[in-house]
This record gives sequence, C-alpha cells and structure tokens, in this order.
Amino acid sequence: MAQKKQYPAVEGLFTCPPEEPRLIGGRCKSCGTYFFPKFAAFHKLGCEQGPVEEVLLSRRGELVSYTVQYYQPPRPFVSPDPFVPYGIGLVALPEGIQVPGMLTGIKIEDVKTHIKVELVVEKLFQDEEGNEALTWKWRPV
Amino acid sequence: MTKTREVAVVGVGIHPWGKFPDKTFVDLGVEATKNALKDANMEWKDIQSVVAGMYVWGATDGFNAGQALAARFGETGIPITNIFNMCATATSTFRSAYHVVASGEQDICLAIGLDVSPPGFYGTMGKPSDKDTDWLRWRMMGATNPGYWAMECRKRMEKYGTTEHHLAKAKVICSKHGSQNPDALYKKVFTEEEVLNSAMVCDPLRLFMICATRDGAAAAILCSGDKAKKYNAKPVTIAGVGLGSSLYGDPTLRLGMLSCPTEGTAPLLSESYKSSRMAYEQAGLGPEDIDFVEVPDNSSWHYLQYIETMGFCGPGEADHLLDEDVFAIGGKFPVNPSGGIASFGEAIAATGLLEVHEIVHQLRGEAGVRQVEGAKVGMGQTYGQLGNSASVILKV
Repeated sequence: MAQKKQYPAVEGLFTCPPEEPRLIGGRCKSCGTYFFPKFAAFHKLGCEQGPVEEVLLSRRGELVSYTVQYYQPPRPFVSPDPFVPYGIGLVALPEGIQVPGMLTGIKIEDVKTHIKVELVVEKLFQDEEGNEALTWKWRPV
Repeated sequence: MTKTREVAVVGVGIHPWGKFPDKTFVDLGVEATKNALKDANMEWKDIQSVVAGMYVWGATDGFNAGQALAARFGETGIPITNIFNMCATATSTFRSAYHVVASGEQDICLAIGLDVSPPGFYGTMGKPSDKDTDWLRWRMMGATNPGYWAMECRKRMEKYGTTEHHLAKAKVICSKHGSQNPDALYKKVFTEEEVLNSAMVCDPLRLFMICATRDGAAAAILCSGDKAKKYNAKPVTIAGVGLGSSLYGDPTLRLGMLSCPTEGTAPLLSESYKSSRMAYEQAGLGPEDIDFVEVPDNSSWHYLQYIETMGFCGPGEADHLLDEDVFAIGGKFPVNPSGGIASFGEAIAATGLLEVHEIVHQLRGEAGVRQVEGAKVGMGQTYGQLGNSASVILKV
C-alpha cells in the first residue's frame, strides 16, 4: 500500500513539512504592523505602505481565550464522522498579535487560559484518495 | 455636518419574522411595504425613491431587491439603490434614505430590508477563495460565528467578572420584553435556569444565549419634515444617523479575520463606537439623553458589550446594572423593549428596520404594555461583520 501523502489544506498559511512549523504572516516594513495571513495586510494611518515582508511568526504563545465548538460547522469545513466537539484557541504571540486555531493534545475539559501553547501542523481531514489535508493547530507545551 | 432639512418617519411596517418556505424574499418585502404605506396613508405612487437592502443569500434578483419590489407594485421609474453592509444593512438603508430626503433631492423615500435566511446556523457567504480570511476560518478550523463571539465573551468574563448568570439574565430580560410584543416570534418567558440548561453551543455560549436566524422584512417611509403631518399625525423626527467602520488597533477578533492586535489602541468593537458617536454628534445629544435603546443582541455577549461601547455605562458596568434591572422596561434605561433579536431571530438585511419599527411605535406611545413611559428619544444600532455598524436616533 502506497504511503499516504500529507499536504496543506491551503498553501501559503504555514510552513510544511509539519516538523517545527511556523505560521506565515506579514509585517509592514514601514509601520511595523504584523498580521496573519500574509495577504490580509493592515497599515497604520499615514504609513507609506511600503513592501510587506513575509515573516515566520513565533511558534509559541499564550492561550488568551478559547471556545469549544459543540456543533458541526457547515462546509467548507470537513468534519470527521461522527462529529466530535473540539477546542478553538486564541493565542497571543510575541509579535503583538493574536491568532486563532484548533486546539490539539489536550482534552476539552482541561483547557484553561494563560497556558503556553505551540504551533503544530496536523490532519484537518482525509481526502477521497486517502491523503491527509493539514491545518495549523495549537498544542499545550 | 452641514445643517440639512428635517426628515421624519411617517410610516413603518413589517412582515412578521419566521420561516416561510412558500414565500420569496420579495413577498416578504411587499407585505412590509404595504403595511408601511398604510401606516403613512400613502400609495406606492407617492414613493419617490427607494433604498433597499440587498438580499445576498439569493441569486442576482436579490442584489436588485428594490427593483424586484417595485415590479410588484407597478414600476414608476424612480431612483432605486441597493446596498449591503452585512448585518448593518437595514440601518444603512435608513441612513441613505435619510440623505435622499435631507439633501432635498426627493421628499419621500422608502427604506426596506428583506431577508430569507438559509437553514440552520450561518455558514460562509462567499465563494471558495483561499485569499478570503472568512472562507479560510471555516475551511481551516470550522470557526463559526458563535465561536468567535464566545472567544470575545470569555475575554470579557476574565476581564470584568461577567458570569454565566449575566449571560443568562440578558436573555431572560429580552424574553420578558418579547413576551409582551405581539409582533415577536418567540413569546416564551425564559428563566435563568432554562437558559443555563440549554445546550452548550460554543463554550461559554449556550443555545438560548445566541440568536436564531429567521426570515423577515421591515420598511420605513421617510418624508421631509414640512410635509410629514400631511401623511401621519404623529411623525417621528430623525435626530441622527451614524455609520461606522473599524479603527486601526481595535483589539476585537473581528468575525471572519484571522488575527487581531493584543494591545488595543482603539475601543473594542470600534465600528460601533464610531457609529454611535457620529449619531450623537449629529443629534446634538449624548448617551445620557437617550430614553431607551435597541441593540443587536446576536448573543448575550453582544448585549452587554454594546451597552458599554455605545456609552450608556462604563466598561464592565453593564453586568451589575443588569442585576439591578436597570435595562428592564420600567427600569431607568430599558434595553431592547421589543424583545430584541432574541425574540425575533436575525434576518440580517432587515433587522435594523425592525428596530426602527419598535422605536417609532415607542415614541408614538403605541407600544402597549411594553411602553417605555415618557419616551422622547430612542436609539437603535446594528452591527455587521468585518467592521460595519450603523446607528439611528429618533425623537419626538
């Protein structure tokens, strides 16, 4: 049996292969504003809007808020069958921005704010060929 | 703003909220418009301009909602504009209709919002695009609207000590108001226990702390102040209309975005802040002059947060004021005397004009058992995804 392939569900959002992954954000060289993803640029008023540089955002941050998604989100999300409730966390990064992502490696009843988390890249869903589409997730350190 | 001529609301009408599988969005709009025309003692031929909310869940027909409506009544060649500002759409039509009349271009303008919601919880509106953050949040993590609100709600709970009791009580108060409103879809009075025992949807938000989505339509007829009494013995004057977008540095994780700043250099929900201040400035009034407000209670978090963002109390104060029943009808500052979205469900392109409908009835003294005693100035606000908020202040 051929080994299943892993690929980012959407290109350009995080580094891949999954070892020590980083989110690919943007930073304005003129006003210093950070944002994610890279194409969703914000600038300060009066900024020259110079080139936006690609930045690999810090892998680790602090969980500042979270929710547990108890109902099955509609498409384009592809849910496992049967659907299992899962956590979504909001993580403050040293760059001064917060980025949401699915939580992994922790039971939903154990999630607490202010824990340290790190970025991992894991399966989002298995496609029709048996290959794995990947997304970014936050995992307690 | 340059002083323009006075504009009044001379007619309001709605199609009831609910699910109407046998009706089209135009059918709903026709009924709301007929009711508004009747209220204003007018006929369709009297309407000189229309500003309609786009119905974006449908096909191209919905983008030209105003034209579709005119076709039913008999086309008269009048100027028709269709606009979309997410959940702030209907209040935005009201604002633009106000400008049509205030500028002197026309004397009478219809503002109309009409909507048929897709079944269940909302999903993405857009077509698949990996360069659209809203599509990406659904695709890459299934982050729903209540999920986004829940994350902001948890921040609030940590910052101010808001508890699930407060989240439940907001629904309880709205449900009491809604039970007294013959137009409300949901008339059941909830207890805190019932809200706290409802299914967890997006922790910490439970099912009855989040609005449903429904179909509905609402219309308002705006008329120049000098001619208003010809159509209605109790015209209601438009004191201010505001439209706000976000400020740089707003720390809110905006619905559909994938990052936000940690240190806010602007107010939370800054579009709501800006929209309400614009309306206050135009009206020459402040929050202390408002007798009651209709806020968009998409969730209990929104209810508490908007009361503060619009300036009716300080940050974190809405919780204890809620406990003291300040926001109940009969309290010092009634919030959502109509019952709010909690009692109707949200029809995104129509909700703002449903608020106007309530404010007008309150100011005319026609709100029956839920009448806010002595109400002279009422305010409404609707918020929209990705930095949209529209406000209206009406007075008698």
